[in-house]
Amino acid sequence: MRSWIRASDTAERGTGILIPAAEPAARQVPRPRPRAWYVDVWVQLVRRKPLGTMGGVIVVVMLAAAILADVVSPYGFAQTSLRERFIAVDRSHWLGTDQLGRDLLTRLIYGARISLYVGFGAVVLGSVIATVFGILSAYFGGRVDLLLQRAVDAWMAFPPLLLLMSIMSLVGPSVGNITAVLGVAFGIQNSRIIRGVALSLKEHTFIESARAAGAGHLRITTAHILPNVLPTIIVVATTGLSTVILTEASLSFLGLGVPPPYPTWGGMLSLAGLDHMYQAPWLAIWPAVALSLAVFGFNMLGDGLRDLLDPRLKGR
Amino acid sequence: MKRYILRRVGLAIPTLFLVSVIVFGMMRLMPGDVVTRMVEGHGYAPTLDALRRDLGLDRPVHVQYLDWVGGIVLRGDFGRSYWTRQPILDEFLRRFPVTLELAALTILVSVVIGVVIGIVSATRQDTAADYLGRVFAILALSVPYFGLAVLVVVLPSIYFKWTPVWTYVGITRDPLENLKIMLVPALVFGVTRAGPIMRIMRSALLDVLRQDYIRTAWSKGLSERTIVLRHALKNALIPVITLIGLQMPLYIGGSVIIEAIFRLPGIGLFFFEALTKLDYPVVQSVNFIVAALVVGLNLAIDLSYAFLDPRIRYR
Repeated sequence: MRSWIRASDTAERGTGILIPAAEPAARQVPRPRPRAWYVDVWVQLVRRKPLGTMGGVIVVVMLAAAILADVVSPYGFAQTSLRERFIAVDRSHWLGTDQLGRDLLTRLIYGARISLYVGFGAVVLGSVIATVFGILSAYFGGRVDLLLQRAVDAWMAFPPLLLLMSIMSLVGPSVGNITAVLGVAFGIQNSRIIRGVALSLKEHTFIESARAAGAGHLRITTAHILPNVLPTIIVVATTGLSTVILTEASLSFLGLGVPPPYPTWGGMLSLAGLDHMYQAPWLAIWPAVALSLAVFGFNMLGDGLRDLLDPRLKGR
Repeated sequence: MKRYILRRVGLAIPTLFLVSVIVFGMMRLMPGDVVTRMVEGHGYAPTLDALRRDLGLDRPVHVQYLDWVGGIVLRGDFGRSYWTRQPILDEFLRRFPVTLELAALTILVSVVIGVVIGIVSATRQDTAADYLGRVFAILALSVPYFGLAVLVVVLPSIYFKWTPVWTYVGITRDPLENLKIMLVPALVFGVTRAGPIMRIMRSALLDVLRQDYIRTAWSKGLSERTIVLRHALKNALIPVITLIGLQMPLYIGGSVIIEAIFRLPGIGLFFFEALTKLDYPVVQSVNFIVAALVVGLNLAIDLSYAFLDPRIRYR
C-alpha cells in the first residue's frame, strides 16, 4: 500500500481541476501521467512562488560556488601577500584584500563551501536524529515519551547560543565538531515537531489496519509512518538551514566555530578582526552581504517549499 | 486551579534537575587545564595539587555536584569564580540590570517597529506601503544582527567620525547618558528582531479584520482609526505577545554578542569572558540561572494563560 500524500494528487494543484478518485469508464480521457511529488514541488515553486524561486537561485549559485571553489576562485584561501594588504578594489582583487593580503573574493567563495558543508551536514544529521527520536517518542508513548520529552524540555530551557558556546568550548573549535554539535542541537529541537506529526498519524486507521495485517513495530514505523512524516522533515530541514548557517556564523564570530585559517563568513566578520575593519570597511561589508544573501535565499526557498509541502506549518 | 498549578510546578522541578546535571556534567568533561593555566601563567598557587585542593577539585565528582546544588538550594550560594574568588551571584546581580535593560529596550524597539509596520501593512494590504513593509521584514530577517552591529560600529566612525559611547554609565548614575549608550545597541538588535514581529502582526491583524465583530463596528459607522486601534489591535496582539515570550532565550543569547561588540558590562559579557578564561563555576552557574529564569518565565506564562482562559485548566 502506498500511503504518502502527493502534492499533485490534492485538489486545486496543477491544473486546478479536481480529479475524482474513481473516474467513470465512459468519461475516461487520456491524461498525462502525474508527476512524482518531489518533481512537482519544484515545478510549482517556479510557477507560483517568485520569492521562493529567487531564494532557490541564490542557493544554487552558492552551491555552485561551493562545489567549484577550487576552479573559480582566483587565489588560494590562505594565500597571503604582504605587499598587497588592505587593497579596497582593484583589477586583480575585485573585492579587495585583508590585513594579510588575502583575496576577499576567494575567501568568500571558500566561505560558501564551509557554510554549506556545516549547514547541510548539521541539518542532515539533525533531521535523522529528530526523525528517529520524534517517531520513537510518539510511537511508543508512555514512559519512553515522558523521559525523552523531559530531556528535550531541559535542553530547550537554555538560550541556544549560551549552551552551544559552552559545548563548543568543551569540544574545541573544528569543522567536524561544529557540524556535529549544531546537528545534535537541531535534532533535539525539531524532534518535537516530528513527534507532533507522528502522534497524529498514529491514530489513523491505516496504521491500525497495518497492525491488524500483522506488521511489526519496525515495519509500521519505517514503512507507514516515516513516508508520511517525510514532507514535514523536508520543510523543517529547509527552513532550518538558514538558522543553522546563522548560528555557525555567530559561533565563528565569537571564535568558537570554525578555526582559522579556514575562511567562514562569521569568522571573517569576527570580533577579533574588528580593529582592522576601521582601516578597511570592506572586510566587514562583503561577508555581511554574503551572509545576508545566503540567509535570505534559504529563508525564501524554505518558506516557498513549506507552503507547497505542508501548509499546516505555515506561520510557525 | 490549585491542582493545575501543582502539576505545572511539579513538571518544572525535574526539568531544573536535568538542567543542573547537564551544565555540571558539561563543565566536568571540559579538557580541564584551567588549573595548569592558573598556576603556570599566573602563579595562583605553588603547585597544581595545592590549587586543586583549594578549589575543591580533588573531591569525587558526585560530592562536588551535591555541594554545588546543595549550596544553591539551601543557601542560595552559586559558588565563586576561580579567578576572582568573588561570589558569582553578587556579580550576576550587579550585571543583570544591564542585560535586562538591553533586552527591554530591544523588545520595545522591535515591538514599536514591528507593530506599526504590521498595522500599516495589514490595513493597506497589497498597496505600495504593504510591499515596502514586507520587504523590510524580509531584510530584517536576513541581515544577521552581529553583522549589522559591526557595520554600525565601523562605518560611521570612518565616514562621519561618529563612534558609539564606549565607557558604560549605570542607569542610576546618569539615566540620560545611560540611554545614549544603550540606544544604539538596542536599535541594532531591535531592528533585526522586528521582522518576525511585523510578519505575525500583519497576518494576525488581517485575520481579525475579517471577523464579524469588526464588520459590526464598521456598520455602526466607527472610524477606521477606532476600529483598528480600539477593537482589532487588542486581539491581534495576542500572538505577538506569545512570540515575544517564546523568543526570550534568543534575546538573552543574542546579548552575548551585542554586549561583546558594544562593550556593555552585562551577563552576556560576563559569560563570554568566563568562557574564554575557562572559569567553569561561572559558566556553569550563569547557564543554570539563565535556564532557571527561562523555565520560570515559561511557567508564569502558562499559569497566566490558565488564569485567563479556564478551558486550559481542565485539559
